[in-house]
Amino acid sequence: MRPMKPREERLRVGSIDVHTWIGGDGAPLLVLHGAGGNRGFTRWVERVAQRFTVWAPTHPGFGLSGDAEWMDGIDDLARFYLWFMDVAGLVRPHVLGHSIGGWTAAEMATMSPGSIDRLILVAPAGLKPETGEILDVFYYPPPQLLPMTVHDPKTVPEWDALFGAPLSPAQQEIAVRNREMTARLTWKPYMHNPRLASFLPRVTNPALILWGREDRIVPVECGEQYRRLLARATLNVLDKCGHLPPIEQPDEFARHVLDFLGGDVRR
Amino acid sequence: MKLYYFSEMPHHEYPDAEGEKYPSLRLEFPNRFFDREKAHANYQRYLTEYEFADQVGFDGLMVNEHHSTPSCVNVGVNMSAAILARTTRRAKILLLGNILPIEENPVRLAEQIAMSDLISGGRVLSGFVRGVGVEQWWSNVNPMHNRERFEECHDLILKCWTEPGPFRWEGRHYHFRHVNPWCLPLQKPHPPIWIPGTASPETAIWAGRRGYTFVPFLVPFDIARELFDYYRQGAAEVGREVTPDKLGFLICAVTADTKTKALEAGRHFVWRMGATLRGPVEFFSPVGMRSRAGSQFALKARPRSLGSMSYEELVAGHFIIAGTPDEVADRFALVQRELGIGHLLLEAQESKMDHPTTMRSIELMGAKVIPAVASL
Repeated sequence: MRPMKPREERLRVGSIDVHTWIGGDGAPLLVLHGAGGNRGFTRWVERVAQRFTVWAPTHPGFGLSGDAEWMDGIDDLARFYLWFMDVAGLVRPHVLGHSIGGWTAAEMATMSPGSIDRLILVAPAGLKPETGEILDVFYYPPPQLLPMTVHDPKTVPEWDALFGAPLSPAQQEIAVRNREMTARLTWKPYMHNPRLASFLPRVTNPALILWGREDRIVPVECGEQYRRLLARATLNVLDKCGHLPPIEQPDEFARHVLDFLGGDVRR
Repeated sequence: MKLYYFSEMPHHEYPDAEGEKYPSLRLEFPNRFFDREKAHANYQRYLTEYEFADQVGFDGLMVNEHHSTPSCVNVGVNMSAAILARTTRRAKILLLGNILPIEENPVRLAEQIAMSDLISGGRVLSGFVRGVGVEQWWSNVNPMHNRERFEECHDLILKCWTEPGPFRWEGRHYHFRHVNPWCLPLQKPHPPIWIPGTASPETAIWAGRRGYTFVPFLVPFDIARELFDYYRQGAAEVGREVTPDKLGFLICAVTADTKTKALEAGRHFVWRMGATLRGPVEFFSPVGMRSRAGSQFALKARPRSLGSMSYEELVAGHFIIAGTPDEVADRFALVQRELGIGHLLLEAQESKMDHPTTMRSIELMGAKVIPAVASL
């Protein structure tokens, strides 16, 4: 596997500078991160970037991107990313989003289905579970929450690299920022948009939904709902996997992505 | 110096061992432990104590509001204020206060405060608070908006009281097309406004700019002085002079016929320092509730949590004052000298402190302590 060295750019979209990792070869794939923030080119991204040009922006209000105190919900973020695609010159990219990033991707698809190619939703929030509940992530102190996001920290290959060291003051500041912006976007209605289910049938793009069977944050029943509501969706549930499939099972996850996008010609 | 009587109207009517099974008495402790019959009797009792405090000469009666906690079952500051507006005659009624950020309708709030002011003959002191985090959870209002909503709610209430209706309000968080309240406060232009503070420099500066009475709660003297400095900074920005009448302080206090009895009664305050404040930091300070500056000041303001202090340490630090009337009056005078305040708010009943003990303390305060500190 060729090592991929992504470049960092700041793209000016409206009034906001968007910190973005860009790297790889091939058709564009827009990757939208979850509430934990933009982890950049981790193992699964390296694999996928062999076949696609990955654009991994940091959401406004998160990490090293500019503030967006005027945003009130994930639908604002979705409209913003459609604008981002114009600025970045991304024409019908594939879009992959994880958790609140998956919710954002789903909202984007309902707003402008013709602007994107294939859709990959990874444990997306956005729909109210029919029986269970989405875990209240703000109720728990972050150190207590982190292990709840995965099935078993011991099986996560990049656990030490991502979470092993204590946070530097700069990283701590980013962690607080990420949590604050997540609250701004998802507090009420908590982690879902009551109107999203009515719009999802508009989306006829081929869609892959990936979920960890042991997800303790967003219950897998929401995956069933997304599959029902989207016209051309497949749901794959990964065993022994929690809410972070991209880092819990990076190789298997990348394989699912490449199989779906038709890029894994060398496997 | 003026003295104010205050009870949180606690509902400490369950076995402590049950409460300890939960991460916090707030939000998590199941309300199957709420005893309806005892609550009925307690409300009657607490209101009787307030009325007695009015009769013996307290300058003011303070009421507050919390939710989802046995530490305070006064769940409606305007309800208790309205009752006292009718059943008391002389004391000011200090609402400290209405929790502005969680309020969905500031116009209704402006009307309700005005109604208490009208019934009481203009005795309302209208406190506005940002609330503790628990109230954000209870109301499910986004804590990221806490300060914005506090300020916008305040601005709309003030406009209701000071500008003729009808008018329109289109803000960031509040939207009303027809504001024209047919209930305005008796006091002109409006009841005095009070603001409490525990850890937020921004709030102290904000209150100073507006000339509101500012009251730190249960902090060490040096922290109170630092908050007062922030307050003065805000006042200086607009060329406002700060008199003792603009500064208050809140402590716990009880008196009795003997020192032994008073010290025994004072132990009831320990519950509110520790047990009722126990819980994850997220409960009391959810994401975004505090600014970075506020968070840093909070750490400095409480190098040791009140809950980690022994009763003796709490007494030594003047968080609790318990003694004979003479001793208590001396201590109050010390607090006044240390802080230069014009108002001392006494949390004067807590936990399982019984009715006779509370009534005797109120009686002795009225007979001996209030006259002794009135001229300070």
